[in-house]
Amino acid sequence: MKRISLARRNALLSSADVSWGVGALALALIALLFRLIAPNLFWQATAPAFRVADFLSEKNHAVFSSFGDSAKLAAKNEQLLRENAALANENHALLERNMSIEALARLSSPSIVAGVVARPPASPYDTLVLSRGSDAGVTLGQEAFGEGGVPLGVVSSVLADFSRVTLFTSPNMIVDGWVGQATLPLVVYGAGAGVMRASLVRSAGVVEGDIIFAPGPGKLPIGTVVRVDGDSSSPSVTLQIRPAVNPFSVSWVELRDTGPTFVAGLSWATSTEL
Amino acid sequence: MIRGLMTLLTLASAVAFPWPLTAFLAIIVAPFEPLVPIAAGLFADTLYWTPGSGFLPFFTLSGAVLTVVSFFVRSRLSTGRIGG
Repeated sequence: MKRISLARRNALLSSADVSWGVGALALALIALLFRLIAPNLFWQATAPAFRVADFLSEKNHAVFSSFGDSAKLAAKNEQLLRENAALANENHALLERNMSIEALARLSSPSIVAGVVARPPASPYDTLVLSRGSDAGVTLGQEAFGEGGVPLGVVSSVLADFSRVTLFTSPNMIVDGWVGQATLPLVVYGAGAGVMRASLVRSAGVVEGDIIFAPGPGKLPIGTVVRVDGDSSSPSVTLQIRPAVNPFSVSWVELRDTGPTFVAGLSWATSTEL
Repeated sequence: MIRGLMTLLTLASAVAFPWPLTAFLAIIVAPFEPLVPIAAGLFADTLYWTPGSGFLPFFTLSGAVLTVVSFFVRSRLSTGRIGG
């Protein structure tokens, strides 16, 4: 009797089909173990790869920008130079004023400048990995400031040589703040992908372009209302807020202790891991 | 060889490119290499996830779901063939 022989196949795992997948999974597991066992060493090993990626990204940006219309770019450049000169003057005046206020309030706490190793959108959780850690004096709860002294987020975990900042746009972040010139109090929620949201009663009259402030040393702008959503029959509106500094392009931050008022106005989680 | 390159590119994109591109590459590779999505998700969370940045490691879970779906689809397609 002739027997029909059917080759036995495992539909789920066949060595020829999944070899690259198995290799990738093994690599990911090794990376995970490395991070869990020696987190500081892990970041020392991976930081150069992030720097190379940053360098390549900058080069690509420059190449694609060069395809733009040169006349339009020259006009834009001239306009930006004028704006820059005006802002520099304004900044100088504000700096003088700030120094006198700091001298009065004795708020001159030391600050730490840290380079950004990883940032969104490569980092999917709206966090920054910084190249300074506890050895440089970074501590949990310090506030991170971007260019122009704009608050960006809070230090949420610290290692010896690296630290992580959870941005105000992170989905886990809740900040007590104010909106507009009338400084109406509101609660700002991180919505991920570089966006924040807040709800407010319609009668407050918040409009597009109003500034959102957070506590720091004083009242600091963290973003701008870019859209006001809500049904006209609803008593409340949802504010879509864009951060004052684009977290996707930040390359350095300044870390400072901003006192208990700021920390009390936050809801966030800290970690001993990175 | 193409599968190998795509696998490596997916993992490298977790470091070098925005995460939506990593997710896109993982979806492209999934039918051919079902374990790559979970590997890429695990790698991305190894790099970026902390308890403070979200309740669950979202990318590992998403990768796991995509891997399960890929295996299921492959198993359905494989049962239609005799021999091999």
